[in-house]
Amino acid sequence: MRAVLLSGAWCALALGAQLAAVLARPKKPLFAPAAGRAGAGVRYAFTGAMVPWAKESVRMNPGSYALGMVFHLGVFAAFASLAWPSRPLAGLSLAGAAAGLGLLGKRLAMPHLRGLSNTDDFLSNLLVTGFTALAGLASLVPPAQRLLPWAATALLVYIPLGKIRHCVFFFLSRYHLGAFFGRRGCFPPSGGHHA
Amino acid sequence: MPELDAPTLQRGLDAFRARLGQADLAYLDACVHCGLCADSCHYYRMDPSLENIPARKLDLIASAFRRHCTVLGRLGLAGRELDPELAKAWLDAVYGRCSLCGRCSLNCTVGIHLPRIFRAARAALAAMGMVPADLQATVDNSLRHGNNMAITREDWVETVQWLEEELQAETGDPGARIPMDRHGAKILFTVNPREPKFFPLSLQASAKVFWAAGEDWTLASEGWDLTNYGLFNCKDAEAGAITQHLVDAMARLGCQTLVIGECGHGYASARWEGPEWLGRTFPFQVRSILELMDEYLEQGRIQVDPARHPHPVTLHDPCNLVRHGGLCEPQRRVLRRTVTEFREMAPHGAGNFCCGGGGGQLAMGRYKERRLQAGGMKARQIQATGAHTVVAPCHNCIDQLAELNKEFKLKVQVRTVAELVADALILPSPTGAP
Repeated sequence: MRAVLLSGAWCALALGAQLAAVLARPKKPLFAPAAGRAGAGVRYAFTGAMVPWAKESVRMNPGSYALGMVFHLGVFAAFASLAWPSRPLAGLSLAGAAAGLGLLGKRLAMPHLRGLSNTDDFLSNLLVTGFTALAGLASLVPPAQRLLPWAATALLVYIPLGKIRHCVFFFLSRYHLGAFFGRRGCFPPSGGHHA
Repeated sequence: MPELDAPTLQRGLDAFRARLGQADLAYLDACVHCGLCADSCHYYRMDPSLENIPARKLDLIASAFRRHCTVLGRLGLAGRELDPELAKAWLDAVYGRCSLCGRCSLNCTVGIHLPRIFRAARAALAAMGMVPADLQATVDNSLRHGNNMAITREDWVETVQWLEEELQAETGDPGARIPMDRHGAKILFTVNPREPKFFPLSLQASAKVFWAAGEDWTLASEGWDLTNYGLFNCKDAEAGAITQHLVDAMARLGCQTLVIGECGHGYASARWEGPEWLGRTFPFQVRSILELMDEYLEQGRIQVDPARHPHPVTLHDPCNLVRHGGLCEPQRRVLRRTVTEFREMAPHGAGNFCCGGGGGQLAMGRYKERRLQAGGMKARQIQATGAHTVVAPCHNCIDQLAELNKEFKLKVQVRTVAELVADALILPSPTGAP
């Protein structure tokens, strides 16, 4: 457990440092008069823009969207199960692992996605899928219980080094996207014009 | 192509770094390579190759960012060095396979504003002397001649005088004017040089609408070109200098409102980017003629007879006007009043596809084949509406749509909003009453 705590501290510090470096960049003042409200755009970016029917990319790929959602739920459940092991969390973790495998299979099977992928994409998926799988199996299979802290440690060490750091930058990206389009009066879209 | 030696590449990197603000750094760290952006791109839809996936284009740029701007990269553990090969890949990605339409941004699962990063890459390429020569020539024309087609002042003034005579003949009103350099006019109206050069009837249509509305307006003999290809070569100093032409004309003539004719990038440049390039808020309003026509109709200043347009009409949404500009509804309200049957494309509004002519594509001959191929998405949309006329409130889009019309045998008319309104106008009586 000490390794998990230490790696957790590393993860938090490294991500915090990365975030601080980004936030330290001065914001340029804007001179064009706003046509809408940045705040309304940010709210939309985190709400209406994220519902499945708001984006064509999701409407065209409902399976991928569903797998992604279950995968992320599984990750949260797996971390929660470290502190509060329970059957529902184990079930969610296993579902997350299955979704992770599904996404990995998709990445391998689809030529355009395979071409887009790099080592980080595969490593990130394997670390997260492995962790969620072990978290789900921990209450059922004793060896999984022993391996779980090491899987958590490996994952936490890796998070700031690869694309899983989107766990932080996702929020900052959506904030800026929402603020930009909100200020221009594009978010929320008028007349139900979604992407 | 200049020699891409180490100092040149360093200049590019410096220019790239200088463009990166807080938002850009977040975007560069956020892509998860889910690939769901692929189908949002008209280039990918018409040619589903890896190079056309927006995330792939972003990754080419982000990889150099990771190498040169992160701790891991400096240790040689992440990213890819910006070498001549990668610089050429950037050029191909952000000029040859992207119209900066931003449709990928709205469809990104994370929320990455990709055109912002592509613009930073274009700025880097500009610093390395890699802007496509014909695009740069368009910018140079604006800087040297005050308009991007190098139309002389004499030709411009003569064209307007001729159009004024045509307007008088068309309206039967010998007092109908196309004012030039009228000091203190409420509105300064700016146009795309394509109008005096190739589409004079388009300018005449706008003038007819102003005349019918009794608008207090003027054209300028200097500073009349609304286009700004500095938006596309991403040299902010040049873009600012071109914007300054309009600002100077406003100051010289003492007008209250700068009205941008039907042009997507022209509107975005003057309304949104111009104040940022020049680092100050303008002492005047910037509006689109679409907003004015909408108000004229709403206020009853002009009246139209939709029966003059009995055939189905559809509307193209210029990316810089709608997705990035926030002007989605005025042109729709105008068309609903002006034509008998208005049919929306699917999708439409902010989600509409780019025609393929944006991002400076029309000024870059080397990518013509790809531009027309990518425009296939727009051709499909138009065909699906079954419309007889495609309205595009943008002269760049109109040029691309005209080419698509031939390429894909669409057999449609391509027109501006003002042209349709002008044709449908119920003309005021000679006494001035409508």
